[in-house]
Amino acid sequence: MATYQEYIQQNEDRDGVRFSWNVWPSSRLEATRMVVPLAAMYTPLKERPDLPPVQYEPVLCTRSTCRAVLNPFCQVDYNAKLWTCNFCFQRNQFPPQYRGISEQHQPAELIPAFSTIEYTLNRAPSCPLIYLLVLDTCMDDDDLQALKESLQMSLSLLPPNALIGLITFGRMVQVHELGCEGCSKSYVFRGTKDLNAKQIQEMLGIGRTSAQPQMRGQQQQQQQQPMNRFLQPVHKCDMNLTDLLGELQRDPWPVGAGKRPLRSTGVALSIATGLLECSFPNTGARIMLFIGGPGTQGPGMVVGDELKTPIRSHHDIEKDNAKYMRKAMKHYEGLATRASNNGHTIDIYSCALDQTGLHEMKTCCNFTGGHMVMADSFNTSLFKQTFQRVFARDQKEEFQMAFGAVLEVKTSRELKVSGAIGPCISTNVKGPCVSDTEIGMGGTTQWRYCGLTPQTTVALFFEVVNQHNAPIPQGGRGSIQFVTQYQHSSGQRRVRVTTLARNWADAAVNIQHIAAGFDQEAAAVLMARIAVYRAENEEGPDVLRWLDRMLIRLCQKFGEYHKDDPNSFRFAENFTMYPQFMFHLRRSQFLQVFNNSPDETSYYRLMLMREDLTQSLIMVQPVLFSYSFEKTEPVLLDTSSILPDRILLMDTFFQIVIFHGETIATWKKEGYQDHPEHDMFRQFLKAPRDDSQEILQKRFPMPRYIDCDQNSSQARFLLCRVNPSQTHNNMYAWGQEGGAPVLTDDVSLQVFMDHLKKLAVSSSS
Amino acid sequence: GMGKSMPQMGGMPQPNGGQARMAVNNVMQQPGGQPSMNSLNASMNNLRVQQAETRPINLLQERHIVEPMPVEPPKSRLNPEYSKLQVDPDIFRCTLNALPQTQTLLQKSRLPLGLIIHPFRDLSHLPVIQSSVIVRCRSCRTYINPFVTIIEQRRWKCNLCYRINELPEEFTYDPVTKSYGSPERRPEVKSATIEFIAPSEYMLRPPQPAVYLFVIDVSFSAVESGYLSIACQHLLDCLDRMPGDARTLIGFITFDSTLHFYNLQEGMTRPQMLVVSDIDDIFLPCPNDLLVNVHENKELIQELLNQIPSMFSGNKNTQTALGPALQAALKLMSPTGGRVTVFQSGLPSLGQGALKSREDPNQRASSKSVANLGPAVDFYKKLSLDFSAQQIACDIFLFSSQYTDVATLAGVAKYSGGSVYYYPGFHSTQNLVEVERFSNDLRRYLTRKIGFEAVMRVRCTKGLSIHTFHGNFFVRSTDLLSLPNINPDAGFAMQVSIEESLHDSPVASLQAALLYTSSKGERRIRVHTMCLPVTNQLTEIMAGADQQGIVALLTRMAVDKSLTSTMSDARDALVNVSVDSLSCYKGTLPSGQTVGTLMCPKSLRMLPLYTLAALKNNAFRLGTSTRLDERVYSMEMFKCQPLQYIILKLHPNLYPVHNMSDEGAILVNDQSIPQPPLIGLSSEYINRNGAYLMDCGDAMYLFVNREVSIAFCLEILDTPNFRSIPEGMTELPELANPASERLRTFIMWLLDKRAFAAPLQIIREDSKKRVLFLRNLVQDRTESSMSYFEFLQHLQKEIK
Ligand SMILES: [Zn+2]
Ligand SMILES: [Zn+2]
Repeated sequence: MATYQEYIQQNEDRDGVRFSWNVWPSSRLEATRMVVPLAAMYTPLKERPDLPPVQYEPVLCTRSTCRAVLNPFCQVDYNAKLWTCNFCFQRNQFPPQYRGISEQHQPAELIPAFSTIEYTLNRAPSCPLIYLLVLDTCMDDDDLQALKESLQMSLSLLPPNALIGLITFGRMVQVHELGCEGCSKSYVFRGTKDLNAKQIQEMLGIGRTSAQPQMRGQQQQQQQQPMNRFLQPVHKCDMNLTDLLGELQRDPWPVGAGKRPLRSTGVALSIATGLLECSFPNTGARIMLFIGGPGTQGPGMVVGDELKTPIRSHHDIEKDNAKYMRKAMKHYEGLATRASNNGHTIDIYSCALDQTGLHEMKTCCNFTGGHMVMADSFNTSLFKQTFQRVFARDQKEEFQMAFGAVLEVKTSRELKVSGAIGPCISTNVKGPCVSDTEIGMGGTTQWRYCGLTPQTTVALFFEVVNQHNAPIPQGGRGSIQFVTQYQHSSGQRRVRVTTLARNWADAAVNIQHIAAGFDQEAAAVLMARIAVYRAENEEGPDVLRWLDRMLIRLCQKFGEYHKDDPNSFRFAENFTMYPQFMFHLRRSQFLQVFNNSPDETSYYRLMLMREDLTQSLIMVQPVLFSYSFEKTEPVLLDTSSILPDRILLMDTFFQIVIFHGETIATWKKEGYQDHPEHDMFRQFLKAPRDDSQEILQKRFPMPRYIDCDQNSSQARFLLCRVNPSQTHNNMYAWGQEGGAPVLTDDVSLQVFMDHLKKLAVSSSS
Repeated sequence: GMGKSMPQMGGMPQPNGGQARMAVNNVMQQPGGQPSMNSLNASMNNLRVQQAETRPINLLQERHIVEPMPVEPPKSRLNPEYSKLQVDPDIFRCTLNALPQTQTLLQKSRLPLGLIIHPFRDLSHLPVIQSSVIVRCRSCRTYINPFVTIIEQRRWKCNLCYRINELPEEFTYDPVTKSYGSPERRPEVKSATIEFIAPSEYMLRPPQPAVYLFVIDVSFSAVESGYLSIACQHLLDCLDRMPGDARTLIGFITFDSTLHFYNLQEGMTRPQMLVVSDIDDIFLPCPNDLLVNVHENKELIQELLNQIPSMFSGNKNTQTALGPALQAALKLMSPTGGRVTVFQSGLPSLGQGALKSREDPNQRASSKSVANLGPAVDFYKKLSLDFSAQQIACDIFLFSSQYTDVATLAGVAKYSGGSVYYYPGFHSTQNLVEVERFSNDLRRYLTRKIGFEAVMRVRCTKGLSIHTFHGNFFVRSTDLLSLPNINPDAGFAMQVSIEESLHDSPVASLQAALLYTSSKGERRIRVHTMCLPVTNQLTEIMAGADQQGIVALLTRMAVDKSLTSTMSDARDALVNVSVDSLSCYKGTLPSGQTVGTLMCPKSLRMLPLYTLAALKNNAFRLGTSTRLDERVYSMEMFKCQPLQYIILKLHPNLYPVHNMSDEGAILVNDQSIPQPPLIGLSSEYINRNGAYLMDCGDAMYLFVNREVSIAFCLEILDTPNFRSIPEGMTELPELANPASERLRTFIMWLLDKRAFAAPLQIIREDSKKRVLFLRNLVQDRTESSMSYFEFLQHLQKEIK
């Protein structure tokens, strides 16, 4: 029998799923006492190059309330050509084309290795990809030039049949007609006036053909209709668009002294949404918004044009002093909902030194699965490389993006679905497996993801509904099925099906089995998602108290201790890291917002809500590597790891920090690395850089790269994340073995742990 | 006494084609041998003017009322010195060349008193003064002029308010001879028309550059009619000839259901079209580069003009959002002012200012009244006033075979000092006559002089008061006309009353001053001064009556009347002037002389005929199927055109041209121009072997009768005979024979004198188009209208 560690790894590799609990408590009551809910981190489009191509349609359970997909956990009667649904126990006849099956001759979906399988549906026509560029022109020439070049470059990365469109905005919003001869032509809209889709349609003179109401079945025909003048195939208009971008100038309207440029982000995005809504409903499409500053007029403005009035901070928000915030959020949420209802993705590339209103606009990315990228300037490698990576292709030369996905969750009857937290929205499809208890976006068994990548990971929460007095038969297993229908970047419609089964255990008698199945990493990330979801939707400080309470309860439930004796506290091995994750989560930028701007907070949280487990864990607790001449090793995220003769490499997901200890920094300054006799030193310096390159090349968005020396101002990026085991408050440690003090009033992990143990063992709590 | 030598009145021949006789060059040689009134008049040319003009004529016996030579305005009875200096009547004239001393006397004459002015008329000789001092009366601000009194070379007495002003020393200084001399040698006191280059105190702001904005309908019908490509071609051709200087700006807006702006910024590789669809809430899509320097951006401008016709060649959009396009023009032009030129085909259908057809063809023929002469909405008038306030004039070119609501759309030009052009039934291939008319008009329009930011004020001698103005402008204060643009083809009229008796002086003066910014950015003042004798004698008033001036004023008043009251009232008012003034004249004659006659002073002998012509004109006729737009357009033209065109439209000139000779020819630039005689507008004068040229001002017809000589066909038309004359011929072939050259020279000479196009049509007597010619024979009776003789009889009846 493999270890749980291996089991978890296998499951993640095969199914893209990590459960908080891998053995499920068999009753509702017991389940609630587990503190960490039964939940899964699921990566629907996890890269599986090894999956066989299945070119037929999935076979569905005939029970109308079930419709589960045939899977390896179903019982099959090969003689009678019958299969029993493992969700509702309905006996189903195999369709005629399965008449040849036998125990020796099984279709792929019945083979246990294919608990995750992907079907390619041939009946649906394939649609070209659609990209609508929405470009802010209120930026300085260098930035605009860099952005133009990035966009021109991106044209060569797109498939020739992809449709592309261009909207530019400043004080006005311009929708450009592409591929017109002679004159360049654009439709101009006032940046202060919102328009609904019908008005936009009329004003752009498109879609007049749909006089008779479209039947549902005809929708596909509608998609096949000739494209409008604003969205043209790349092969037809790339020259034209390259020229157009080349001639694009800064917003020509004068900006008064002490004023911000008038920037109509809200209307521009509204027009982009409306344009796609009326021309390509229910077709995968990306709106790519590039902004160099905050919206300053019209619906969706986040700050006035007076420079002397700064954009809102967390303090302003807390004091209800953010004049435009709520209205703007409502505006963007409305757009996000519309885009999402039509299967359209909104990406935001925000490049500015100050905030641009990502806080207000975040729903656009959250609801639609769009990217959010934040940099200081378009003229940075951070932006340029990140943007290029959007069009990266996998081994099969296919884009790593998918569109218009709907994830449906089916559960066996002992379970119900409480909700999901991820870059998606609920489609409000009620069903027998919808739980009354909501966590995240609940009340449904379906969520829509307009855009998703192989990394996109959703947290799904379940409720055990089996009553204590209704025991589950011996060997009975609970089942969950994820059915994800989506538009592949090739234009095909595909269905990814993952079916899972886990053992039940009676917590009253077999609590140790349940505890052994605890996945502390998954649990930490799932709890982080709940905490951030609550923080986004409720008050901040309460979230910290809730997290603490939950942690204490988990310790009480699964720790071994004598009452009121903190020193007696022991945790099983698969729980030991969990308090440390919670410690770092508490002090992370996800929950401690006041050192960041609201835009930064929104950005960080958005990434946490969509990345896979490994990346999320790095966000919660950054990883630290220490380089010495002898070896490279992972070290504690702790001040004690800061040593003069070491180089540290810290990965926080958002930043890569290379930190040279004092001695190394001095040598570096003296230029030892340039002397042939110190080639070792040169290579030593290079090693962490080479390692960081690997991360920088792969990650999306590209992290910020910080190369610093001990005692330099940039060093703060490292110092703020390490456990302050040595601070100016416990200077006694200074001068002792290694380490460097950190100027902070935060409690150290040690203090935190001591306190936690005390509370956990206290008989009064 | 003279009437007694005439044949019996009953013997007046009825117009009849078969029996028609023709007038010939020399009235003394008229067939029939009877000396006519005309011939007698001609022989009395040497008599004193007054005597000749007041000599009573019995119109009922005056068979040939139209004289061979054109009607001349009467000369004022001024002292020879003033007479010599008098303003050119083609620029500035009064309906009465002898002013009644009192309002009572004026009313007694029953003649209208008013001024007809053509203030910016193209002139071949215009003295221009650039001087540090412009001498003006300190009291009434009159400019010094030829009719002031210079006192001891140091002072001058104002001829309007009689104040005595000092003459500045500089005024007597001659920069050429560098010496001081007599003030009388100054051009200001030697020329009744003069222009000053104004110093900065005449400017409210620095003179603006010439700014031209073209607002172009590109809807389906605009493209289909073909006007669009023609207009763009002319714009291209005339781009270099538009008046202006190095600063001249130009811009374009095209529109259908949406507006299209064009960014023509320097350095761009191609024009950038900016479409604004939100026509309910018009805004400018970019802050600059919509109006660009015509020289620096010429290539882009030319490229755009070349592209527009093809860009819209497949346009299926039938809607036109004219109102929003004009609102955009206002926004775009407001900072500078300038000229907006609108091309519109059909009724505006979208946005503010959208219009519905108001013409019911069934109502056209109803005899008593004409509905919908006024504007349907006040949008265009309001916009026009907004234009005016921003020193913008709006000119509108209308093309349509359908109802276009000229009555409403003309409003946009009316109050902004603009012009209206109308081409009914325009089609680039099916209506070549209108194409030619439009092409000529547009070329003239684009290249003619223009003044910006203009105001015109007419001052008059104390006692006179100006009260009602006619033309296209906005009256800013009681006597100040605001003219955002002034063009050389704009005519104005104003009515004058006598508020205080004029016995202070034997003469009275009127001075029109037009202050404008030239296309070269100079502030200029053009001043016209007129001096008139004052009289207390009714006969002198009658003798000095300017019948063409009177009819030019009367038709304007009738247009107003038809709008404020009814068409019938307007027609009655027209007739009443003849009835009343002839009635008044009758009272001045011994009663024995007047029995059974319709007596008329020579000065007014054409008045009844002009009146009858007016009643038969498109503008004022009843009971016929005149299209509403054509009627309204005619009315508009009466309101704002210079006198010469009004007279031609009312009463075209008709010349027999089948037998032209060089007799009486005049020399112009060493070229001999034949001068065929004028004949009356009656079939009486149309001979079946003749050919006749009719000049209607904006159209010319060469009417060829069926028995015209083979020689005429060969020599003039290059056809073997009458039957071979092609239908729809619009040009005379250039044939190298004296007859052809004579006629072509004559027509060229006629056309050269005018600002508006008058396309020639050659009409065979048996063509359907003959009605174009025949309907202008106003002396003839028709089913629904009186002949001239019947009209005279009617007048006679009315005069008790
Ligand atoms: Zn089932
Ligand atoms: Zn005076």
